[in-house]
Amino acid sequence: MKLSQAFKMAWKSILSNKTRTLLTMLGIIIGVSCVILLVSVGQGATSAVTAQVQGLGSNLLSVSISGRGVQTSVSFEQAQSFQDIEGVNAVAPTVSGNVQAKNGNKNVNVSVEGITADYEEVRSTKVQSGRFILPIDVDYSQKVALIGTETATDLFGTSNPVGAYMMLNGMRFKIVGLLEEKSTSNNTIKIPLTSAQRLLRSKGIRTIYMQAQTGDLTSIVKARTEQKLSQIFRSTDDSYTVTDQKEMLKTVSSITDTLSIALGGIAGISLIVGGIGIMNIMLVSVTERTREIGIRKSVGAKKRDILLQFLIESIVISGISGMIGILVGLGGGVLVSQITSLTVQASLNIILISFGFSVFIGVFFGIFPANKAANLKPVDALRYD
Amino acid sequence: MSSTAITLVTQRKPLLKLEDVFKCYAMGGEEVTTLQGVSLQILQGEFVAIVGPSGSGKSTLMNMIGCLDVPTSGSYWIDGQEVSRMKDSQLAEIRNQKIGFIFQSFHLLSALSALENVELPLVYRGMSAKARKEQAQHALREVGLEERMHHRPSQLSGGQQQRVAIARALAGQPPILLADEPTGALDTKTGLEVMQMIHTLHRKGHTIVLITHDPQIAAQAERVIHIVDGQISHTEVMQA
Repeated sequence: MKLSQAFKMAWKSILSNKTRTLLTMLGIIIGVSCVILLVSVGQGATSAVTAQVQGLGSNLLSVSISGRGVQTSVSFEQAQSFQDIEGVNAVAPTVSGNVQAKNGNKNVNVSVEGITADYEEVRSTKVQSGRFILPIDVDYSQKVALIGTETATDLFGTSNPVGAYMMLNGMRFKIVGLLEEKSTSNNTIKIPLTSAQRLLRSKGIRTIYMQAQTGDLTSIVKARTEQKLSQIFRSTDDSYTVTDQKEMLKTVSSITDTLSIALGGIAGISLIVGGIGIMNIMLVSVTERTREIGIRKSVGAKKRDILLQFLIESIVISGISGMIGILVGLGGGVLVSQITSLTVQASLNIILISFGFSVFIGVFFGIFPANKAANLKPVDALRYD
Repeated sequence: MSSTAITLVTQRKPLLKLEDVFKCYAMGGEEVTTLQGVSLQILQGEFVAIVGPSGSGKSTLMNMIGCLDVPTSGSYWIDGQEVSRMKDSQLAEIRNQKIGFIFQSFHLLSALSALENVELPLVYRGMSAKARKEQAQHALREVGLEERMHHRPSQLSGGQQQRVAIARALAGQPPILLADEPTGALDTKTGLEVMQMIHTLHRKGHTIVLITHDPQIAAQAERVIHIVDGQISHTEVMQA
């Protein structure tokens, strides 16, 4: 028998029992679309978190000082001297705390960060209107402030905050810039570092952000920074930590990879269940069609012909289901990304893998019943009712 | 008269030859022997009926002759080829090339049209679609069902279904037609029509082996082989 004829025959028998075919297909469709959807959600989460970490600033190192005994922080001058470490592009020391911000009768508790002009580059934080903190603001402890979007809405409603005044713990500050939308800075107020030292009554600097010149240099810069810190703190190395953005990314991606694997695993199980569904239906179909097999054998069908017919049937069923599953999975992904805030990112790899797997399942689970059918003796198959 | 019949018989060459064929089945752990040393010859162009009560082993014999089953011991030749030593795939080829089956319950595939059913043996022969269709249409024309070829078996009467089955048996032009109670599922009138068709085919030169329990039907053959308890009890040669 020719292969094209075997295909035609399989197609005819698929069409002749639509309900059964649809039920079989459903298992694979759900399996494949689940794999694609869940893995896409996992990958979307990975790339969203990665983008967020990278959005903190490129080639970023952050130094946080917990301190021990007498010395619990470094001075502004010490912090600025980190600039001289080889490979460092810019340094942004900060002090931070919480203050009561007030405009008329509107009043919020908000975190305040005292920053320098380099903060703009190091943390890639920009203003959408107005201007950023300038070196002169820091030098003269100017009472100027940058405001995050949510805090601005809290205090000023819809009116433009730039140019307006607000009270921070009773001190009057002029707002010179409105920060760009960014999840880490929407609820903050940023003021010159020297003004913050006064406002918060804390002179010491406990957080310093540093930017390495290139991504490759971050680990070297980290080592040099730690060396310098150990000189300042006299080798009590648990009084400071230096975090590398790359390390953060590694941690984050290890978490999201685990998430992806877990989601993919769950979906994979549903794919296997779908495959068992195919095997089940194929087995039932073989039993149901024993007489047909007998008739085909009595007119001269060989074992190979019967095997081929059933095998092609299961491959065609799982192939078509796989394709529908891909479409449903991608469609579901679009839907999820529109309804929820999740980022969904489908990759060609996962589409190809899940499609390949569904066809493989078709072959694998098709072989067993097909073989059973093909091995029937014609006389036994014909007698079957 | 009888001498001419004998010369006619000697001129024909044997098409089927069974020698000392046994068939045993394991049934619930017990061994049942349904054929106990059957030997017979059927000649080219002969019309032979095999009769016997139910349980006599005539169905087993038919399965042997039709290559649907293989003997436990003994040998079986078709057209000079020893079938009893063949592998499954070779047996399938023999069924495809040499034997046309006509079953009591027709055994048509319900999902296929009459034409597609008739084409089936030709499909497994690997024929091209066009040649297949022509040959199948020709076979349907011979049984007078050409205008019904696109009907499903369920849209045909019992007699028509049996005629489609006959057309399927004829389509591959096999030398042997094997009919298992061909009138068993039909009423008397359509049964007669089917028998007439079988006679016509015999006159055209087909070798016909008919299995039945009905003595009246059997009497229409040239030769009647009686089977009792898995053995040939006696053979009658009918006067035409």
